[in-house]
Amino acid sequence: MDYDFTEDQAAILGGLEQLIGSLNIEPPKDAVFSAYSQPLDDELTAGGYLDITSQEGFGLLDGALIVEQLAQLPVSVEAATSVLIAPVFLEDTTRRPVAILAGALTKPARFLPMAKTLLADIGDDLLRIEIPEGAVEEVATLFAYPYGRLKNPENLPRVSLGSAQLPTFRRRWRIAIAVESSGLMQSALNLVLEHVKTRQQFGRPIGSFQAIQHRLVMAAELGQAVRWLGLRAAWSDSESDAAIAATFAQDAIPRFCTDLHQFCGAMGLTLEFPLHHWTYRLRALLGELGGSSAQAIAAADATWGQK
Amino acid sequence: MEFGWSPEQSQHRARVRALLARELPADWDDIAVHGPGSDAQTAFSKIFCKKLANEGLLISHWPREYGGNDMTVWDQFIMGEELWAAGEPRGPQYMNVNWIGPVLMRYGNAAQKAEYFPQIASGSVIWCQGFSEPSAGSDLASLRTRADKVEGGYLVNGAKVWTSYAGLATHCFLLARTASAGKGAIVILLLDMASPGVQVKQIPALIGEGDIHEVFFTDVFVPAQNLLGEEGQAWEIITFALQNERIGIPRYAFSRRMLDRAAEKLKADGRFENPVVRDRAGRALALCEAARMMVYRVVHQRATQAPQDAYGNLARWAIIQADHAVNDFMTEFMPEGLLGEDQMQIAHHQRAIAAGIASGAAEIQLNLAARRYLDLPSEPRRGL
Repeated sequence: MDYDFTEDQAAILGGLEQLIGSLNIEPPKDAVFSAYSQPLDDELTAGGYLDITSQEGFGLLDGALIVEQLAQLPVSVEAATSVLIAPVFLEDTTRRPVAILAGALTKPARFLPMAKTLLADIGDDLLRIEIPEGAVEEVATLFAYPYGRLKNPENLPRVSLGSAQLPTFRRRWRIAIAVESSGLMQSALNLVLEHVKTRQQFGRPIGSFQAIQHRLVMAAELGQAVRWLGLRAAWSDSESDAAIAATFAQDAIPRFCTDLHQFCGAMGLTLEFPLHHWTYRLRALLGELGGSSAQAIAAADATWGQK
Repeated sequence: MEFGWSPEQSQHRARVRALLARELPADWDDIAVHGPGSDAQTAFSKIFCKKLANEGLLISHWPREYGGNDMTVWDQFIMGEELWAAGEPRGPQYMNVNWIGPVLMRYGNAAQKAEYFPQIASGSVIWCQGFSEPSAGSDLASLRTRADKVEGGYLVNGAKVWTSYAGLATHCFLLARTASAGKGAIVILLLDMASPGVQVKQIPALIGEGDIHEVFFTDVFVPAQNLLGEEGQAWEIITFALQNERIGIPRYAFSRRMLDRAAEKLKADGRFENPVVRDRAGRALALCEAARMMVYRVVHQRATQAPQDAYGNLARWAIIQADHAVNDFMTEFMPEGLLGEDQMQIAHHQRAIAAGIASGAAEIQLNLAARRYLDLPSEPRRGL
């Protein structure tokens, strides 16, 4: 049991930090709902960060740490699926970004506008679909990810990966939900902490009011719990750990986001204030794979069995 | 970073489990149901702790110079996790080994160590903590019990309340004050509970038999050699003691065991097929595991001798959520347990309802974490 980074992990995350620093990534100045960073995507690909789990001596936990760090940025990039899920199911991992979907193929999915591959859990099968140019229409949304929908999914060739692959697909997706949530929560909380320490009302910082302090500590606790549960799930890659981590994350997201926006008042409702770049990615993750009840039932089943 | 156990740690856990399987009597659940402070569990603790001592496990985390075995922080914690999950057969003596001993190691003088360590190491003494008072609960610094200096020692007058284990305690880790105000006037006295003038009255409570008491002190003489540390040093000692106390109890381990047990019962009854039940069980499970991972983070800090921050306060909040969630789950879906059908469920309920109150109120944990973990500004003092 060791909560500190290994030397290799520290080196990788340090390198990633440098890479991010070199791109001068700032919250978008214009009023946009979602911002995708193609330059970052290009650099991550070139730097081999998205292939980390296939490199000797590295594993899923190392990939999860990368995903968590990238989620802290005020812009999005498709990393969680490429790092944590796709290597199991893609023969050609260069066919990315990769979108994931559960349910009907006509449903909107994150990153579909720029995706080259879609992995779809249709209930009784896992499908791999290569996305040709022009096959996707963008979907306008408040969620701070790019969303798209297949125009005519019935016309696209697909590869059936079989229902036996579904448990692995769902397990990795759950780990991705938790780990990405952790990164998003850290940045959102840091922004709000900065705000409540400087924003003055009644002659003092609003962060000095106990009513706000207590709820911020609760938010911090949620964020930390999501973090350690998510990273443990990445380390063990077990059904129960993954479902537990996703349960906690999706259960926490509504309270976390509501409180953080509350403490920023009307400013937090503007697109000028960058909080939504994290909280509206969190809200998008809330409904993935059926939402918190589906994860909780999966956690119970994985831990105790159904009958 | 990794989240597994070494082979040695797994062996240690297996050894503790084997010892529990061997040494806990068939009627252990009936003994444990009344809580660590009950007559039955306290009496059993004296038998069990002697066995732990014989196995070299009672104070094995203490340094060798104090009779311990320099057991690692993680091994100590693994043992605590297993014992608490089993209902804490050390009874009130977990306090002795977890924080009273370590406090004496750091602040006790040679005579105090010579007197108290053999008693604790043999598993034959019960300590209680004389902290809370009618007007000093979370606001501990406002305590009023007096320790007036007299020739050769102190004369103690006052009252303590909510004192766990006092009914059977042989010693009290007593806080009192030598002057009317200020943290600097507080002293810590190591009191013999058999001293003339000490009166203990049990408080009937929801949380079980023998758990909380009032303790009255009327002209109780405490020899000067029973002062712990120096006058003026008490607050530093208390802070150190509370750091050891607050994460000393892995409460989530008992909650997780009860949740596992509840799931098996519900499955046997066919009620676990209901997805609503599984949903709620899964959420309670997530809270237990969240508490576990956050407490492990605190243990990791200790094990690596990293500076202590307020993460322990954050972890306490997680523990409280877990205890309440499991209790609420069982109360909602297994109310028959609280109607006399399941003594262990009653025992868990009684511990869970005190989770946010005992060992420092939940709100105090939030206050401390706000200031020391999130670095939020303090509330201005009234009148400023």
